[in-house]
Amino acid sequence: MDRTVIRAVVLASVLVAAPFGAAAHQLTVFASVDCEAVLVEAKFSNGKAVQLAEVRVLDGENALLSTLAIGEDGTLSIPLDSVDHSGGLVIEVDTGSHDNYWIVTPDDIARNCQS
Amino acid sequence: MKRRILTISVAAFIATTPAFAHYGMIIPNDPMISQADGRSVALTMSFSHPFELDGMMLDTPVSFSVTHEGTTTDLLGELQDATVMEDQGYTLDYPLDRPGTYIFSMEPQPYWEPAEDAFIIHYTKTYVTAYGDDEGWDTELGLKTEIVPLSKPFGLWEHNVFQGIVKMDGVAVPYAEVEVEFFNEDAAATAPDELMITQTVKADADGVFTYAPPSDGWWGFAALSTADYTLPQDGEDKAVELGAVIWVHFEEWTGQ
Repeated sequence: MDRTVIRAVVLASVLVAAPFGAAAHQLTVFASVDCEAVLVEAKFSNGKAVQLAEVRVLDGENALLSTLAIGEDGTLSIPLDSVDHSGGLVIEVDTGSHDNYWIVTPDDIARNCQS
Repeated sequence: MKRRILTISVAAFIATTPAFAHYGMIIPNDPMISQADGRSVALTMSFSHPFELDGMMLDTPVSFSVTHEGTTTDLLGELQDATVMEDQGYTLDYPLDRPGTYIFSMEPQPYWEPAEDAFIIHYTKTYVTAYGDDEGWDTELGLKTEIVPLSKPFGLWEHNVFQGIVKMDGVAVPYAEVEVEFFNEDAAATAPDELMITQTVKADADGVFTYAPPSDGWWGFAALSTADYTLPQDGEDKAVELGAVIWVHFEEWTGQ
């Protein structure tokens, strides 16, 4: 089962799960969420922020929603109202030589946006 | 035959007279929380003989906190009463909002141990990493006495060495004695000799010790010293044993 299929299964079942170790483990990707936006953070294992990378935003069905560039400080804010987040989101960060991702589950969004 | 007899006699000894090392314990459900594991860590706190699974009373600690990204947060009021190894302990589910290393630390109340005619205070800590980010793994908390990890205190294979530096009041303790004990969670481990339940290593002249465990699982390291003060008990001044305790999990080797 490849990583894409696993992700689709995970999101479809609305479970928090990640596949087995990302191939590029030197890159850490994290995304926090509030009622307004998803804040993506990417850094290398030495603590240095990623300065140049493509950020792909996919929905719960693994469909590509948007492709964006990360900021020079290794962060990117994605307004929630700009994407269909009802089934969760997959945030992929790809530097060209390293890639990793974070799954924003519907539970993450609900927990951090109680209203 | 000799080995079997020794095992049986040790088992009998353990059943009747738990007399080995005391350990403060902070054991998370997982020392490396990935996004697949959820968004929190479940902790269990106790005071025990971990190899014999013999619990002792852990009164409400003096302090219980978490340190993450340089900020220490008091969690004492969040502890939930629990029975651990058939005695008083605590549990806590702590949300992990961000990546990085979380260091959970506990200072217990002085424990009066009549068998040793002394009080015991174990400054206990455990390192938990969240979401693939190990930043902060070598954090020194500045405890009264502390083992500062020189090896990353998680993500170790069984048989890897663990190294730490023993400190008292922030200063390395030359030739400190460090007791090492396995948390025998499923009671599957037996000891062919009682001397092997608690193993002992000494630090070098710089306070650095090294140990390689024989198996995966949780291993406790306790650097012991005598305090430069006493506490009263029954009208007499009694010695105080200070312990710098760290719990480290070693992972099962998955290679061939």
